Amino acid sequence: MKSKIIGGVILLLVIIAIIVYQFINTNKPEQITVTGYLGGEKIGLMEDEEVRKILKDKYGLTVDYTKAGSIEMVEQDSSDKDYLFPSSQTALELFNQTKSDKLYKSEILFNSPIVIYTWKPIADALINEGIVEMKDNSYYIADTTKLITLVTDKKKWSDIGVNDLYGYVTIQSTDPNKSNSGNMFAGLVANIMNNQTVVDESTVDNILPQLKDFFGKIGYMEHSSSDLFEQYLKTGMGAKPMIAGYENQMIEFAIENPNDWNMVKDQVVVLYPEPTVWSSHPLIALNENGAKLIEAMQDPKIQEIAWTRHGFRTGVSGTINTEVEGFYGIPKTINAVIQMPNTNTKQKIMKGIK
Amino acid sequence: MNEKVKKNKKIILAVLIILILLIIVIISFSTQSKNGSIFSSKETLNILSGSENQVLEPILEEFEKENNIQINMTYEGSVDIMQELQNGAEDYDAVFPANSIWISMGDTHLKVKHQQSITTTPVVFGIKKSVAERLGFVGKDVTTKDILEKIKSKELSFMMTSATQSNSGATAYLGFIYALLDNPEVITAEDLDNEALKSDLTTILSGVNRSSGSSDWLKDLFLQSDYDAMVNYESIIIDTNKELVAEGKEPLYVIYPKDGLGIADSPLGYIDNGDQGKEEAFLKLEDYLTSDEVKPKLLELGRRTSYSINFENSNPDVFNEDWGIDTKKVLNVMKMPSADVIKKALNMYQTELRKPSLTVYCLDYSGSMYGEGVESLRNAMNMLLDQNEASTYMLQASPKDVTIVIPFDDQVLDVWKAEGNDATTLTNLQNEINNFEPQGGTNIYAPLVTAMDEISKYNVADYTTSIILMSDGMSNSGSIQEVMDKWDSTKLDIPIFSITFGDSDERELQELADFSKARVFDGKKDLEKAFKQAKGYN
Repeated sequence: MKSKIIGGVILLLVIIAIIVYQFINTNKPEQITVTGYLGGEKIGLMEDEEVRKILKDKYGLTVDYTKAGSIEMVEQDSSDKDYLFPSSQTALELFNQTKSDKLYKSEILFNSPIVIYTWKPIADALINEGIVEMKDNSYYIADTTKLITLVTDKKKWSDIGVNDLYGYVTIQSTDPNKSNSGNMFAGLVANIMNNQTVVDESTVDNILPQLKDFFGKIGYMEHSSSDLFEQYLKTGMGAKPMIAGYENQMIEFAIENPNDWNMVKDQVVVLYPEPTVWSSHPLIALNENGAKLIEAMQDPKIQEIAWTRHGFRTGVSGTINTEVEGFYGIPKTINAVIQMPNTNTKQKIMKGIK
Repeated sequence: MNEKVKKNKKIILAVLIILILLIIVIISFSTQSKNGSIFSSKETLNILSGSENQVLEPILEEFEKENNIQINMTYEGSVDIMQELQNGAEDYDAVFPANSIWISMGDTHLKVKHQQSITTTPVVFGIKKSVAERLGFVGKDVTTKDILEKIKSKELSFMMTSATQSNSGATAYLGFIYALLDNPEVITAEDLDNEALKSDLTTILSGVNRSSGSSDWLKDLFLQSDYDAMVNYESIIIDTNKELVAEGKEPLYVIYPKDGLGIADSPLGYIDNGDQGKEEAFLKLEDYLTSDEVKPKLLELGRRTSYSINFENSNPDVFNEDWGIDTKKVLNVMKMPSADVIKKALNMYQTELRKPSLTVYCLDYSGSMYGEGVESLRNAMNMLLDQNEASTYMLQASPKDVTIVIPFDDQVLDVWKAEGNDATTLTNLQNEINNFEPQGGTNIYAPLVTAMDEISKYNVADYTTSIILMSDGMSNSGSIQEVMDKWDSTKLDIPIFSITFGDSDERELQELADFSKARVFDGKKDLEKAFKQAKGYN
């Protein structure tokens, strides 16, 4: 009798074990790991636990990545990768020109305008100079032309009343030949130098010497926007008085590090240049696994997290509907946008700056 | 009947055990992808780091204990770290240099991720307060050029690390160039060809009495010597001052040049060699080092944590205002020139501008070196003397360098000399080293006496002078007393560096290092690296 009971218990245990095993194996889709090159500014998003969970549970995807500059990644050998996730249309176009046979599918997933990060004393001085203006008592816009003229006119910090700083006014960016934020910024500066009109193959040669000089003055240029942004915050106003970056970087920082944000929020200033340029973030799939990632990243929940937690504008027009909690000073729409130069012109610019 | 029940029970028990094992296996399989198997062994992180992080070891040890993760730190100079990354850094899991520029210049394989600055500390001048007051540097804005003028006119003697081996030295050296060029918008390659600049730099660097390959060791050397000033990290000046004050000596006064030197942002980055367990261990370490629990400990070490502003609540005994330390001041930073210009400037330092080296190698050719030992020795010396190879480590000779090699067993066997950096001369020296065969006993003291005699033939003030002794065994004749007597009688303050190998007696070598203010390098694991390090100090 006793042995029968024990036998029953064992049978039950076996059944439970099988059910548990089945549950573990069928509730989740087939699990794959996709690897690729990722622009540094999207690391926060791809490391977001909720995003990782959605990708894993709903789509069976674990995303592994290597950080690379947008331009750098299309030039690297990517034969062992499933995807590339740069932050510019230019990178996609370059890829299409050189390795179009490797392109499986691509889709623009996010947009982010180029902004200038600076510090309160500098913003105040720029307001005095009539270069920056505060809109709706909430966010700062900067006259791009006047701002760039400060640099090309070799103004010193003391000339605009920033006496704590030594030397010349500069705006630092990442290396336009390695990283997209620097590349976009070079496009913007080129347009401004071309009398605020989009520079093309026939006009680019006129402004190249001036542009080369502008970027030459930056000196050492970082390869990744995330590294430059971190140095801006960590090494401060004396080291990084003004840098070009993506709008999403500060929003993401504020949301991920609320305590740190509270420490710096009265000192850091985001300038929205008028005009600015849009950075689009296309996800380039190199095979079917990469294409699965494109599909998964379009999940409405992920798109929502991308804006509310990481500051990437997701609609085509980049208009935002929800406020980001704890963060202020974000314009709902970015109105004054100038087109980036076309790819051939862009390549001339990059070569000219090298 | 009883028998049968017993037998049944045994079967049931066996089935149960098998079942339980099965369940464990299933569970461990299903969680394996996330946390690794439950049977996994201790994770190890091999970290390639700058020497200034040596002071973090107690903090790292706590992490090791709490997390059952083992950390192996390897300390190297910035240029070596950059080089190692360029070579793929297969043996390392993380990199922790003083400045992110070395990662971005080195990471050509794009293997570094999760890079984050752990602390910051500016590169500053630390000057004895009485001297700073006398020179009029206290209570006002001082530029790098103001300080350099005093160095040029010999009113101020100072120490700095080698620009080609250490980040603080490189930063200071580039800061000097920037100041001497009257703070241009950015330093260009053409600027570096300026003859007046070169001559100024040569004068200034000739005042550096002894250089060092590491910022941390520069502090030790400073404490043993009598210089007015050193260029180093604010955190190391704080550390130095703690020791000076404890010894009842005058602390250093920190000058933040108005035109800026540089800031070490101490980035920690993961080197992705495709091991997920290591990556998780790394992230734990990074979280730990940036946690609110560890921040106060880093502040105690004089490191600035968190963000560049609102740097408050720091311990006034550490960030001491009497030492000139100012946590509110905007830290101006010189703009780093482009990578090509940095490389050109560093090469110029090594082959043209630095104070020339007079280096005597005393090399053990005793019988026990026969075979592999002498092979390793030859490889190490060829690496330093072959200028192509030496240039990858920025250890090239300059036209004014003097290299002397003294082979020994139980007596001095010969003296070989090479003056300058001419390829034929250096190749001849290599041939001597490569063709000489080991034999006999060991006397490490006799060659040191000969070395000092050889050095005395030169005008020592014109050189950074040193003896590098490499030995694989205990001395069975001679005595340290003869070396000490000779050292005292020459009055030349020659450091005797040693490299251990095989069964060498570290105590003997440490004694030599102690009285001559030098140090001992471990060549037992990697002889080439030890030679590289020792040369980097000279």
